Amino acid sequence: MAEEHRIEFHEAMDEIRSRVVRLGAIATEVIPRGTEALLGMDLRLAQRIIDDDDTVDELSLDIEERAYNLLALQQPMARDLRFLITSIHLTSELERTADLVVNVCKGARRIYRCKFDPRIRGLIKAMSDEATELTKHAMDAYVEADESLASALDDIDDRLDELHTDYIEAVFDSHSAGNLDLQAAVQLALIGRYYERIGDHAVNVGERITYMVTGWLPEHTGVARVALKNRYRSSGVNDRQPASGSQGTQPEERREE
Amino acid sequence: MSPGGTIALLVAIAAVGVAVIALVLLTRDRRRLTRLVSTSAPGELPGGRPLDALETLLAGATREAQRREGEVAELAEALDSIPLGIAVCDQHAQIRFRNTVAGGFESARHGEALVEAAVTDLLARAVQGLSGRREVQLYGPPLRSFVVRARPLMVDDDEVRGGIAVIEDVSEQRRVDSVRRDFVANISHELKTPIGALGLLADTIREEDDPEVVTRLAERMILEADRVSHTVDDLMELSRIEFADESDFEALDIGSLVCEAVARIREAADQRAVKVLVHAGEAMAVRGDRRQLVSALFNLLDNAVKFSESGTTVEINTTGTPEVVQIAVIDAGPGIESKEQERIFERFYRVDQGRSRAQGGTGLGLAIVRHVASNHRGRIDVVSSEGEGSTFVLRLPRLVASGGDTGAER
Repeated sequence: MAEEHRIEFHEAMDEIRSRVVRLGAIATEVIPRGTEALLGMDLRLAQRIIDDDDTVDELSLDIEERAYNLLALQQPMARDLRFLITSIHLTSELERTADLVVNVCKGARRIYRCKFDPRIRGLIKAMSDEATELTKHAMDAYVEADESLASALDDIDDRLDELHTDYIEAVFDSHSAGNLDLQAAVQLALIGRYYERIGDHAVNVGERITYMVTGWLPEHTGVARVALKNRYRSSGVNDRQPASGSQGTQPEERREE
Repeated sequence: MSPGGTIALLVAIAAVGVAVIALVLLTRDRRRLTRLVSTSAPGELPGGRPLDALETLLAGATREAQRREGEVAELAEALDSIPLGIAVCDQHAQIRFRNTVAGGFESARHGEALVEAAVTDLLARAVQGLSGRREVQLYGPPLRSFVVRARPLMVDDDEVRGGIAVIEDVSEQRRVDSVRRDFVANISHELKTPIGALGLLADTIREEDDPEVVTRLAERMILEADRVSHTVDDLMELSRIEFADESDFEALDIGSLVCEAVARIREAADQRAVKVLVHAGEAMAVRGDRRQLVSALFNLLDNAVKFSESGTTVEINTTGTPEVVQIAVIDAGPGIESKEQERIFERFYRVDQGRSRAQGGTGLGLAIVRHVASNHRGRIDVVSSEGEGSTFVLRLPRLVASGGDTGAER
């Protein structure tokens, strides 16, 4: 009887995993699609992406409910518990990614018929490719529980950040050269920001996966620092003196744990 | 009697006892079995004692099962060899069989996971007796399209026993469709526009008295007529190249081909104030048709010059490996969007309709280049991103100089 329950439990866990993968697939697919709508001035495609976002919301709600059910009824522990919590977090990150693409599409509607430089178009395409790639890597890390890939996402994201900086510069240049009116420039700058945010969400996914595998979160470093400060504050004044010397190294040591 | 003998005797008696008991049990079982067999299938047993018949029956059944198993395995292998994905489910929509192609989607995690989602959704509907079809477009890159069809598996026309889903990769089909559609639309447009203009200009001239205006209109007529004749020339060149064979191939020096092409472009480049720089590497040779290869290089240069701002430079580099000659044409123009890069080698395909027509191309140049490349067993590739210029690389198999047959023939 108990054995049967376990099988059901694991099937339910697998189902959650495959649904999160499906959500991730939708999110990674919608990024190049949104870029296509933006660069191809395809208003119909933009509208379809905006409408299709409802299925993303439906799927993420479904995943969350399944996860809550398991948490409440099966009281999973350790690895299983971390997997479920991570899946809930991932769902909201991926849902945000899809939302950002919806924002790109809405931006595309606002700057419809506005011509912009090939350089800007090229950078938009490059940012889109980079964001897609990052989200793909994040999903790979989730499926394979690959901690090193998950923590590499932050470094990979630097490329997207650089592109974003170049892009903002290109928008400024194009505006000051008189090729772009102010409204379009602002819309384009916002659109660049959306792509950059997609990368940040992929990095968040990576952090959550590190937690799933190791139980460690980057916030732990900050928490350790706060705890350390509080300890020195509550103890006598004498303790404060040596504390300033070792403050730099202490949190670092915590990080290793 | 020695104590040893007594023990041996006791053991012997015990052994006989056990044997008798075993024999009794066995015969009882045998009798029971015989009874069972004769009551269950009295008529069908072949002659002889019932137990033998049972053995024959069992052996037959085993053979039959093995044969069936073999058949199923053969069938599965046959299904594996077709390029469609096939998934079969039972009446609870649980998938019981996938061939290799369909199996690839099961463990997919990116775009293909959406194909898998379509399969499970459609199968869930199929077991309720509903057929369905869904097209999944993946933006990749590359762009891909899949059609998933599912229908219920019926037995005796009323009972649903499961469902089957078929996954078809229609990417190539979709691509060919759009190429054909665009070609027909473009060729009519390409020929109709100048012909329409000629008609209008002639109409205006008929009513016109001012000799100055007549001259101007006549000049424009000549321009339009030139355009039509250019398009027709290029079309003829293209079809000539398409049907060309290797019968008149000869050894050709790359340097001389490049020089000839550059000489042909020089005037147009000077007019646009675009510099053309040649970086010739070592002397290399290829086997091919001089006219075709010069035409390919000229078209690459022509494109590069047309899309360059005045004051910029177009470079042409020749490099080589022992097997391949590489000729790269590099411009600092507006670049080509990656989505367009797959399509620019199609006949009449234009990235930006208005702009490239203003530059006076016929839309056939790159199609000619691609055909020349494939005629010479080479290939043409483009590396570009918007705003960064483009590099076209023509790769041709290198002719290794042997004895008197050196590449330099002129």
